[in-house]
Amino acid sequence: MSQARSASFPPYGSSDPPVGAGWGRAGLRRVVRTLGPFVPLLLLWQISAASGRWSADLFPPPSAALAAFWDLIRKGILPTYLYNSLVRLLTGVAFSVVLGVVLGVALGINRRLGEALEPTTAFFQSIAEIAWIPLALIWFGFGFQTMIFLVIYTAFFPIFFNTLIGVRSIPPSITEAMLTLGARRHHLIREVVLPGALPGIITGVRLGAGYGWRALIAGEMIVGVDGLGFLLFSSRSFNQTDRILVCLVLLGALWLVTDRLILKPCEEATIERWGLVTTQGP
Amino acid sequence: MLISVDDLGVIYRDLHSGDAIQALAGVSLDVQEQEFLSVVGPSGCGKSTLLRAIAGLVRPTRGRILVKGAEVVGPGANRGMVFQDYALLPWKTVRQNIEVGLRFRRTPAPERTRRVGRILEVVGLRAFAEKYPHQLSGGMKQRVAVARVLANEPEVMLMDEPFAAVDAQTRLTLQEELLRLGNVLAFTMILVTHSVEEAVFLGDRVVVLTRNPGRILRIVEVPVPRCERTWQRFTSDATLTQLRDEVLAMVRSQVDDIPADDGSA
Repeated sequence: MSQARSASFPPYGSSDPPVGAGWGRAGLRRVVRTLGPFVPLLLLWQISAASGRWSADLFPPPSAALAAFWDLIRKGILPTYLYNSLVRLLTGVAFSVVLGVVLGVALGINRRLGEALEPTTAFFQSIAEIAWIPLALIWFGFGFQTMIFLVIYTAFFPIFFNTLIGVRSIPPSITEAMLTLGARRHHLIREVVLPGALPGIITGVRLGAGYGWRALIAGEMIVGVDGLGFLLFSSRSFNQTDRILVCLVLLGALWLVTDRLILKPCEEATIERWGLVTTQGP
Repeated sequence: MLISVDDLGVIYRDLHSGDAIQALAGVSLDVQEQEFLSVVGPSGCGKSTLLRAIAGLVRPTRGRILVKGAEVVGPGANRGMVFQDYALLPWKTVRQNIEVGLRFRRTPAPERTRRVGRILEVVGLRAFAEKYPHQLSGGMKQRVAVARVLANEPEVMLMDEPFAAVDAQTRLTLQEELLRLGNVLAFTMILVTHSVEEAVFLGDRVVVLTRNPGRILRIVEVPVPRCERTWQRFTSDATLTQLRDEVLAMVRSQVDDIPADDGSA
């Protein structure tokens, strides 16, 4: 049982570094609180798989998934695919951050531009990234560009809208006070708009990266070169349910680790230090 | 003459209804160097608009405003403003907040440190220099906002209902502190307030505005020198209390839609 658990969360157990002084007992409690609810879930998986109602080929037990996990690592498939997926995600999210923050700030500080372009952005936001796949395949082919396009498209909107909301939530009196202290436009952007919108931007990146991760998996399934999504989809061809389950667990676990160890601490650090209240992402 | 407001009229368009609203009409007044000028009037009389026009945040529809002979065409560092909601930068410490105007104007670092150090001392914020605004009380925040403007050494400090958001006890302290600061640092101030007591207590002169549109009803001199004023004296001094009652009556004469039954401010 404990083996299966460590198989589900290999990166967590191994890369649990001391982050500042708050770790130790409090950190341990946090880990237990985060991982605790997964224990009954794993138990349920084990019990239902062992009940014999379904064949082990259709619904393999955690131990089989663990074996498949080691097999994928030993053959070098998982490390390569995982690496490729993460590079795609990071590249796409990086583009989205630049685009989303620049446009969010531009539309946030310019009311007329904001009013003019907001319907357009709402229009495109409502088109799911999967709906773009046919056109993206024709335009960019079965490769890197299509997958990056999907990640950028998906991650852009949360980052853009949260940046926009962040900029608009800055009290006008702050901007006016700065003007009466001699601020020029570039001062306002650097000293007021960007730091004021930062909690919104971080929340947007958190959401955007999460949605981008899902979009990438969908893209990799269709494009079918390599990556976690491809592994997931191609495992179906040979009924490798154990591999599929490994991929599913990894998808959730990787996101949990990234979010809890990197994104959420960033968000808390800025918001708590400045005493700001902001909308929290899921 | 430090500031001349000449036949100022301001019309703005209401964002919701789209109606044109005449906030100010034919306002002319002069402000002397090192004078404390209070502006009172019923709510909606355009007193904030007058202050914002002097700050350059509102464009005059008619007339003009001169500061040391130069026409106001927009906001600038020579007219620093203190807001009711403090308007501090939450991501900067007290020291950084006070320093921000000097950084905008590229004041050299040693000069900046010297000036900020002095102002922290005078305003009594030295122990709080490395705190963030959310760690401060309302009164302390407003001290920072005042210090931030004064560190910039503007021609005039504009205050828009600066003490309306702090508790009554703190308000009295801040008002007395402001008088003391005026003695120590010798600056010019225009204060907009709805409190007649505050206007009389802090001003060398009190401008009373009418409503719809805002015009000058009267300008009243306060005959007691600022350096001699304390709240204790204010409540017992017949000249001051009488003056307060006169101004209060003027302001109330402008409030036509409220039955005058309580007689208190």
